[in-house]
Amino acid sequence: MLLKVDNITVHYGRLAAVRNVSVEVNEGEIVCIVGPNGAGKSTTLLTISGILSPTEGTVTFSDRNITGMNPENVARMGISQVPEGRHVFTSLNVEENLRIGTRMRRDRAEIERDFQMVLEMFPVLGERKRQPAGKLSGGEQQMLVIGRALLTRPRLMTIDEPSLGLAPKIVDRVYEVLTDLRNRIGLTLLIVEQSSERALKAADRIHVLRSGQIQLSGNAADLRDGEKVKQAYFGFTEGVKHEGEVAF
Amino acid sequence: MGYILQVIIDALSLGSLYALAALGIGLLFGVLRLINFAHGDFITLGAYALIVPAYGPNAIRFIADFPAPLLIICTILVIVAIALISEFLIFRPLRYATAATLMVGSFALSFVIQNLIIMIYSGRPKSLNLWSELTEIKFLVGDVEIALLPILIVAVTLILLLLLVLFLKRTPWGVQMRAAAEDFKMARMLGVRANFVISLAFVLSAALAAVVSLLFEAQTGILMFRMGTPLMVFAFIATVIGGMGSLVGSVVGGMTVGIVSSVLQAGLPAEVRGYRDVFVFGLVILILLVRPQGLVLSRAARERV
Amino acid sequence: MAMTTEGNSAQRPTSSRFTIEAKSPFMLQVRAWWPPVLWSIVLLIIVAIIMLAGGPVLQKTLTDALIKLLVVVGLYVFIGNSGILSFGHIGFMMIGAYGAAWMTCCPRTKKLFIPGLPEYLQTHQFPFLVSVVVSGLLAAVVALISGSVLMRLSGIAASIGTFAFLMVMYSFYLRWDPWTRGASTMTGLPVETNSWVMLPFIVVVMFGAFLYARSRYGLSAKASRDDEVASKAAGVNVVGQRLLSFVISAFIVGMAGALFGHFLGILTVDSFGLPLTFITLSMLVVGGMQSLSGAVLGSIVISALFEALRQLEVGFNVGESVIALPGGGREVGIGILMLIILIFRRNGLTANQEIYWPFRGDAAAKTAMSRKS
Repeated sequence: MLLKVDNITVHYGRLAAVRNVSVEVNEGEIVCIVGPNGAGKSTTLLTISGILSPTEGTVTFSDRNITGMNPENVARMGISQVPEGRHVFTSLNVEENLRIGTRMRRDRAEIERDFQMVLEMFPVLGERKRQPAGKLSGGEQQMLVIGRALLTRPRLMTIDEPSLGLAPKIVDRVYEVLTDLRNRIGLTLLIVEQSSERALKAADRIHVLRSGQIQLSGNAADLRDGEKVKQAYFGFTEGVKHEGEVAF
Repeated sequence: MGYILQVIIDALSLGSLYALAALGIGLLFGVLRLINFAHGDFITLGAYALIVPAYGPNAIRFIADFPAPLLIICTILVIVAIALISEFLIFRPLRYATAATLMVGSFALSFVIQNLIIMIYSGRPKSLNLWSELTEIKFLVGDVEIALLPILIVAVTLILLLLLVLFLKRTPWGVQMRAAAEDFKMARMLGVRANFVISLAFVLSAALAAVVSLLFEAQTGILMFRMGTPLMVFAFIATVIGGMGSLVGSVVGGMTVGIVSSVLQAGLPAEVRGYRDVFVFGLVILILLVRPQGLVLSRAARERV
Repeated sequence: MAMTTEGNSAQRPTSSRFTIEAKSPFMLQVRAWWPPVLWSIVLLIIVAIIMLAGGPVLQKTLTDALIKLLVVVGLYVFIGNSGILSFGHIGFMMIGAYGAAWMTCCPRTKKLFIPGLPEYLQTHQFPFLVSVVVSGLLAAVVALISGSVLMRLSGIAASIGTFAFLMVMYSFYLRWDPWTRGASTMTGLPVETNSWVMLPFIVVVMFGAFLYARSRYGLSAKASRDDEVASKAAGVNVVGQRLLSFVISAFIVGMAGALFGHFLGILTVDSFGLPLTFITLSMLVVGGMQSLSGAVLGSIVISALFEALRQLEVGFNVGESVIALPGGGREVGIGILMLIILIFRRNGLTANQEIYWPFRGDAAAKTAMSRKS
């Protein structure tokens, strides 16, 4: 097992944003956490990255306890996060953005190979190498941050809402790229999404998170019809299920 | 004509000193969101580092008698060391505190340094000539004599600015600093070490402070325990005028403040000339209201809006 | 905010062995107003002991400390309620001090030193107490004018604005020779202030500050402190509420300035600069910025430490030799203490809480308190 989030509870002040959440990711898997706004998805990812510290529970990455480790060391362990809202460095140009994460790598020749690979994957980034990253469109910025994360050569990439604010066509492209990466270089992915439809298609396994707690976990194949997911997502109990007329 | 040239050179050299000091404040604000009130005291310490720490009324020359290159290096090293110690003892434990708490912390540091100087060197002003030949050499331009020092100050500032730009644009450390200044958390998630970047900012800021203290000392020839405070105050408002968090803004702001004060000094009628600083500080409030992001809009600020 | 204070008082250890049943209406009021009541009693005891048993130097030190305490309570009214750190209040102290001097100096002195005064002020002399209150009002008017501009700013920009305000006032008074004697010392203020004079001012101001903090206005200001956007959305006039706390605090600090002028009988612009700003701010931060108890406790602790370190500076005999702290030593000590408190106890000695009725029987007190707020 590559990543094991074991029973973590995270507080903002007195408020628990996440309670007793456990997530596991195996090497080469795509795991999805879906849940409505405010469910604690981003909190979970930020805790894995070391931005937040859990008040309880542990995070283990390739058999090392990384709970409470600072973010730069987590990154150096091989977890690269693409946070919500993309966070490109708008004042740096595209190439500087891409290369910033390679500073912690020591394999010079490999860095250049990976760099070329990213440019092949996203030709638009190559065309705009010298432009300030702030000038890119939303979709291009999403490509840039995925490329930037890839260049750290992560063993696990976590992505927070890659489809946020993007046109459906571009979202398709993003997921195409992510699935392709898994198939080609065996990249392990932990994706967080609000809409579970797209995530269900790409993922091997999914977790549904609501109100800071895991409501449902399972193989994506078993949950494909979506009924159980819907139930977990909206929190309908058996009795009131049929009152819900919400389109998924 | 000659008089106007004199005013221009004075304005530029004063603006240069403010710009250098403002850059020192701006660098730290960029990565740490710290308004370092102690920056002026780093400048003061740079001047006091030149003499033997003794309580007596006279300055006993120490580093001041070294040959110029060694003198400059030693002063920079002393101030860098003091800045790094302050970072480690005070600002590192306070890193996740609010901007206001950090500000109070730097205020306290400033207070401690000033009074340490009183304890060690005494509170009385001392005179110390540094590179007095710089003020003695003069060029005759038309009918006016122009001293070498103000021209040198402008030149040194330009060179340092160029070096700083090259550092920030061309070196990996510089790129890391820019990234951290824009989005500290994201930079850390890409493996940029927080302690390293912050220490680097303190080193650069302190080195700039040391250069300012040498230029200022050469200009004034006097040591006072609060000599850096006015420089800090004007440099601080320069960073506000230029736009907090923008290094270009710090330079523009420093130059603006220097030029505005020199021009007001020369141009205001005698009866209101004394109120010059009132206008300069009033300008700050005006700019805060009309253009809170400063004259130069920093990209980080734009992001947040 | 009302909810949090109540929550906290409920958390307070209730293990006190004393039970003072507050059944009479009087005791209920005492309980509801406990923080200012408590501090009034503490200060009365301190003043009484030192005024009756202390030497003249200690008595002077006490008066000086009480003036600073009044400034710090004034600072608390603004900073504690609005959450904006102000570097500008010493400017109001200066305005109050000079305002009082314009009124109370004898006409001959005024003609000699500050010939710029208008005819009416020049020739008249006003009683001390009237001057103190009017000087406070003068500071409040300046606060109303400057604040209507500055309070539009928020957070760090507002702090910078107050800093610029201090610098504007300072450089202005430093040059305003016909009214202030500029960089020279102004003399001839009647010496009226001592600790017994300070005490009633402080007591009244503490009760006023406590009343304000619990009033609708104080609570609105605190709401804007805790979440500016949400309180705006809830219909709080953020700028107006901030401005009100700014004006009230300037009134208090202005009065403190007037009392300060009549303490030494002389004034210099130089004494109203950054060092005094630092000392008073550090008192507030050390005590805890968001409670009246913090302001008072911080002032007492820092002043006591200052006095203790002053004794060290004077030196004491150890066998043959005199051990003395060199000049500047006590300021260094205060600065370091301040840093230690900032680092290890970020919310000050009181952790930003009021000190509530320490005896059992909270429920009654709470009802009395909620009636107030």
